[in-house]
Amino acid sequence: MDELDKLKQDWKKNAGNFPKFSEMEIYAMLHKKSSSIVKWILIISILEFLFWLSLSFLMKDSPSTKQIESFGVDYITIPMSVIGYGIIIYFFCHFYINYRKITTTDNVKTLMDSIIKTRKTVSQYIIANIIFIIISCIVLFTVFFQKDPKLTSAIHTHEANGNAMAFYLIYIILAIVFISIFILIIWLFYKLIYGLLLKRLHRNYEELKKIDL
Amino acid sequence: MSASLEKSFVNQLQENQNLIHKICRLYTNNEDAHKDLFQEITIQLWKAYPQFRGDAKFTTWAYRVALNTAITLYRKKTRTIDTIEFDSKLHKVNQDEYNYEEEEHIKLLYQAVQQLNDIEKALVFMYLEDKDYNEIAETLGISEVNARVKMNRIKGKLKKILNP
Repeated sequence: MDELDKLKQDWKKNAGNFPKFSEMEIYAMLHKKSSSIVKWILIISILEFLFWLSLSFLMKDSPSTKQIESFGVDYITIPMSVIGYGIIIYFFCHFYINYRKITTTDNVKTLMDSIIKTRKTVSQYIIANIIFIIISCIVLFTVFFQKDPKLTSAIHTHEANGNAMAFYLIYIILAIVFISIFILIIWLFYKLIYGLLLKRLHRNYEELKKIDL
Repeated sequence: MSASLEKSFVNQLQENQNLIHKICRLYTNNEDAHKDLFQEITIQLWKAYPQFRGDAKFTTWAYRVALNTAITLYRKKTRTIDTIEFDSKLHKVNQDEYNYEEEEHIKLLYQAVQQLNDIEKALVFMYLEDKDYNEIAETLGISEVNARVKMNRIKGKLKKILNP
């Protein structure tokens, strides 16, 4: 008889030895708050959607947005807003559909797949947002270069002095540094939050995949 | 959800709570964590209960949700309390039926199982519950052949833990 069969004997013999919870205790448990990772993913994901949405609303009233509006470039800003909101709607619908597919009666691997897929939707949303922000920055920088009177006069002065290239270079480097810091903060936030939340799930998922190799 | 549904759920869970206790026994190592996991499984079962069809056995339906909660959904608390004290508590009830040596060996076996990873514990649990390999494979979402291979490896691993 191997070790597990010995354990099985004891398992069966002692199956009824656990202290029993009363009906009242079980009732009380039903009304306690869940601490499942799916619940946390839902909360964090909704916060992420709200964060980006509020960011776009805040940007609307910023002085630089007002300045861009004064340049009369609606043919650029309106399609950009439409694309921005389109991204939010598309990913939120996707997220909701995937979230609804998470079922605890599925097999272990399918459940893990559904959770990872839901999580991936939000990650893709963030990536789409970052790409959108980078493209927007490039477009808006170009608009500023062409339309902002202060900037155009500065360019003219530098051109006259023969150091226009240095001026452009500083401008571009500053833009790259700004965007890089922004991406780094988001990346660190992700590593921390999801690293902690999904570490165990990823480990178990890998273990299941290893069994089926 | 209606009060009658809640009552029927609580009745069924109260009658069949051993199943959940057994899962908690493998996945936790102290009384607080045991209760915590039991509570989370209860919440998840209650959420899924509207989809439970009366024609299936409650335990057959519940053990998959319970395992899924233990492996995937439950967020472990980092507190660790001496496991031996808890093990002794669970064994005290039937102490008279055991001789000391046997009891010690069983305790060591449980401690060895505690050292397995979450997926291996799930396989052990289903093996102890007399589930066939087809069901074990189906529950985990792996192939039956690989479930057998893994089970044999686990047996070897347990032997190694017990006889280093």
